[in-house]
Amino acid sequence: MRSGSETFVKAAGLVGLAGLVVAFPGLASDPFVLSVGVVIISYAVLATAWNFVGGFTGYISLGHAAYSGLGGYATGLLILRADVNPWVALLLGGLVVAVLAVPVGIAALRVRGASFVIVSIALVLVLLLVFQSWESVTGGSDGLRVPRPFDADVLRPEQHQRFFHLHAVLLAVMLLCWWVIDRSRFGMGLKAIREDEDKARSLGVPTVRYKLAAFVVSAFFTALGGGLYALWFGFLDPIFQFSILVGSNMVLMSLLGGVRSLFGPLVGAVVVGYATEFFKAQYGDTQMHLVAMGVLLAVVVLFLPDGIIPAVRGLLARLRPGQASIREVTQEELAAEVRR
Amino acid sequence: MNGLRVAGLTKSFGGVRAVDEASVTFRHGRINALIGPNGSGKTTFFNCVTGMVKPDAGTVTYHGRDITGRGAHKIAHAGIGRSFQLCRVFPRLTAVENLLAAVRPGSVLRALAPARLKADVDRALALLTRVGIEHLADVEARDLSYGQQKLLELAGVLMADPETILLDEPAGGVNPALIERIGVLVRELNAEGRTFLIVEHNMDLVMSLSDHVVVFDRGRPIAEGPPDAVRADPVVLAAYLGG
Repeated sequence: MRSGSETFVKAAGLVGLAGLVVAFPGLASDPFVLSVGVVIISYAVLATAWNFVGGFTGYISLGHAAYSGLGGYATGLLILRADVNPWVALLLGGLVVAVLAVPVGIAALRVRGASFVIVSIALVLVLLLVFQSWESVTGGSDGLRVPRPFDADVLRPEQHQRFFHLHAVLLAVMLLCWWVIDRSRFGMGLKAIREDEDKARSLGVPTVRYKLAAFVVSAFFTALGGGLYALWFGFLDPIFQFSILVGSNMVLMSLLGGVRSLFGPLVGAVVVGYATEFFKAQYGDTQMHLVAMGVLLAVVVLFLPDGIIPAVRGLLARLRPGQASIREVTQEELAAEVRR
Repeated sequence: MNGLRVAGLTKSFGGVRAVDEASVTFRHGRINALIGPNGSGKTTFFNCVTGMVKPDAGTVTYHGRDITGRGAHKIAHAGIGRSFQLCRVFPRLTAVENLLAAVRPGSVLRALAPARLKADVDRALALLTRVGIEHLADVEARDLSYGQQKLLELAGVLMADPETILLDEPAGGVNPALIERIGVLVRELNAEGRTFLIVEHNMDLVMSLSDHVVVFDRGRPIAEGPPDAVRADPVVLAAYLGG
């Protein structure tokens, strides 16, 4: 089944990818390209974090901006109001959000399908109002200026470079966690929930506990992504932090790349992130880039409904010699069945 | 008291009393059949017993332990497995993964152990062999025929190693050869000490397979006994023919 050459190709691909990520800031022609790179890798972090719950359990949360926003604000407020070291604040922020995600998850995961989507949106809207109105603590709609973790003598391009690599480290940790869960018993239970939750329950999968665990892990990583972004960008505006657009971007990127694949959200983030910047550059200040994005997404949904990675994998499998399709095999089996 | 005992079980949906103060005992070690006209509450009865829906009233005890209203996974852990009417498998998992999903990790740490541990995979393959679809182990369930999916579902239920198995219409929509195979399997599994509770409309299968038949009508048992006695019971005939 798993040949040596396949393992080699996989390992080589992984090393190549890692090399590309390490080298990218050096290759970027100017600070703008570098900053776009940081935006894209930040989206890759958020989409991959989203995929812990979306990909494994099939619960589509449109409101994950709640956790990235909370992570950002928690990090910023801990630095500003409690004078905590920025990196400690980042981690504490993630933990605080993870704790908050427990009651939220218990309440939200009671409902499935479209109802869950609505509930997930509700939380973002509530948080938006709270963070806009509670001026004395959050800075209100004027926003919150987050001090940068590096000294003033570290210049802009250098900042971008460091944050690009920090995001890459976080992304690598998350991908490793996703991979471990994917092949674990826990992961198999989560996938069973995604396929048929009642059936999973009847087989003994503790669905409530499993869903909650995935949800909390997802919220934790999303908050770390939001906090890291806050440290890089240096400014938080509630209208952008608690925005349904940010949450739906995580969903779109994951679906685009493929929610069942480890690298799906990453691929989706690169494609969507690059396309967004490209269309923005093409169409300048108009809103045409949104139209172009819409067309791109429609094309992908029409022709690659499972996402880019499964489509490419399917194409490669068809090109490989001696690989009959599953259908043909079952036909034979069916014939054998009849004869038996 | 050994076995599954249900007392005064009631479940309403809106104004309809799907199960209406049903009281019945299924003794351990037997193949019990549950028959009755459509809409007589058999499936709702199953759902209440297995924790898929919470009953409004009544108690379910298993081996003397009260399991009323427990979560479905806890009832599964207590040793009661079930299949679904119209067959339910995990469509985008392979056959062997369908079985691995039923493995109980035991502890938080062991939940992170690989799902494809050799011992578990071997057990899954042995069960697939037993139901006769081992050659389809790596095929996604959605690519299997309906009959193969039925066999896969049964193997999945067995993977959780239940003492008592509730089957909801195992012969529904499958060809006669497969019905026979399922009948043989049920008999073998019963001989190994597993209790069965089978909802079925195929009377030939019910009569040839079961030790004990319970007849449902309007949400409660109206007759029970050995197959031959039940078949001759005028109350049962009236329920089926609308007397």
